[in-house]
Amino acid sequence: MNDAGQAMAAARHRVVGALAARLRDLDLAEDAFAEACAAAVTAWRREPPRDPAAWLWRAALRKAFDAKRRLAVRARAACDERPPTPTPEDELLAADEPIPDERLRLIFVCCHPALGAEARAALTLKVVCGLSTERVARAFLVAEPAMLQRITRAKRKIRDAGVSFEVPNREAWGERLEAVLATLEIAYAQAYEDAALAGEGAPFADEVLRLSGLLAELLPHEPEVLGLAALVRYAEARRPARLDAGGAMVPPPLQDVSLWRADLIAAGVRLLGGAAEFGVLGPRQLMAAIHGAHLSRRETGVTPWADIVALYDALLSFRPGPVTAVNRAVAVGEAQGAMAGLAALEAIPGGGRLAAWLPYQAARAALCEGAGLLADAAGAYRAALALKPALAERQYLERRLAGLALAR
Amino acid sequence: MQYMLLIYEPEDAYEGPAGEVLLVDVVAKYTTLSEEMAAQGVLRGGDGLQPSASATTVTTLVGGAQSLHDGPFAETREHLGGYFLLDVPDLDAALAYARRVPVVEGGMVEVRPVAIY
Repeated sequence: MNDAGQAMAAARHRVVGALAARLRDLDLAEDAFAEACAAAVTAWRREPPRDPAAWLWRAALRKAFDAKRRLAVRARAACDERPPTPTPEDELLAADEPIPDERLRLIFVCCHPALGAEARAALTLKVVCGLSTERVARAFLVAEPAMLQRITRAKRKIRDAGVSFEVPNREAWGERLEAVLATLEIAYAQAYEDAALAGEGAPFADEVLRLSGLLAELLPHEPEVLGLAALVRYAEARRPARLDAGGAMVPPPLQDVSLWRADLIAAGVRLLGGAAEFGVLGPRQLMAAIHGAHLSRRETGVTPWADIVALYDALLSFRPGPVTAVNRAVAVGEAQGAMAGLAALEAIPGGGRLAAWLPYQAARAALCEGAGLLADAAGAYRAALALKPALAERQYLERRLAGLALAR
Repeated sequence: MQYMLLIYEPEDAYEGPAGEVLLVDVVAKYTTLSEEMAAQGVLRGGDGLQPSASATTVTTLVGGAQSLHDGPFAETREHLGGYFLLDVPDLDAALAYARRVPVVEGGMVEVRPVAIY
């Protein structure tokens, strides 16, 4: 990306947020920003702006008002009314006003719980982060027209259902904030699942890093916001170590700690420490703490499995369900022996449905292998491979399966 | 902005002696809620409906012919049992009132913005 492109990307959150709050129309805000960027390409070549964000804000505001006026003129032509008189908008354009910071409002609008969870994540990545519909579609594994339709429907619902462009009041705050956090988690899951940097999710990781950091900056008194920002940083800190030279997945306890990013770890420690000061525990803080425990191997040389089990126990009260329980069973296997882990895994309710779930089979395979039940382990590795893991995980599982054959 | 709160409930909840006791309690709660809505100046209308067995449905067929049938338009366990018409600033405000509608377990309140022509 060239300098102008970078300046536009950097200004986007703030300018689109301010436009959406002023115009109360996401489409108009996005279109106006795009038009302003197009105009900037030639204008900035002639004369570089002193403040690119301010330039874009004023240009986009003018484009948006022009668009609104054109619509109004057309409407008036249809019903034969008087010519337009100067509006407060003209005065606004004349005044030299700084860009209002409405990024929080924009995030709350795109993440309203009245929208479906996936629609929220897609809309946020599209409108707040400025990713193209095509990009978002690829990450969510749907066709572009389907994604466009999803985003369009979400925008229409925001308009028609009267979703407010205000930051929510105290009464609605808890639920609205929860929806924002859940949205960022979904967006990040799309990025994290793909261990390979080349994956479709990779550019999302940077966006979710930026967005979670922005949210922590805007809402520094919300421990779960800080927890989520820490979680994303901790998880991203390990990204350079998640694949080996051959492209196979490397699980956290086996990763080369020298590849972990110290800058992100330090940022995560700061954020999670800040969250702890409020003394209100939540699932994102606990998940961040679990990542943090893995990262502590960098200093101590060992993974504190007993601590990790305790953290999963606490997480279960917020997130009961197979995801937490399967991860906990793996930790139990490390802390108390593979047989104990296997017992924990078998105690998870869910029966047959779990068998068709990749993380379950992968966990079962590793625990059986650890317990010396090699035939069961081989069966589970094959079952896991049959569930079509992504390339990096497939390579890892194939290698483990081949290792079993050698051991026998 | 105007919103219609459409209240759906399983009708059998108010059957039997326990149902009658429940009904007295629920009616009192509805009275409190609608008085509060009126005092806050947001209530534009609202009432309960007779049970769905009292419904008659007019269906317009392809070609314009019309038919009548005895009963509500869809056979479901939950039926439209009442509504509120509110005038509030935004969806969050409408949802806050919707949450306070005293429906029984399994009850639902659909919040629909009103299209004003």
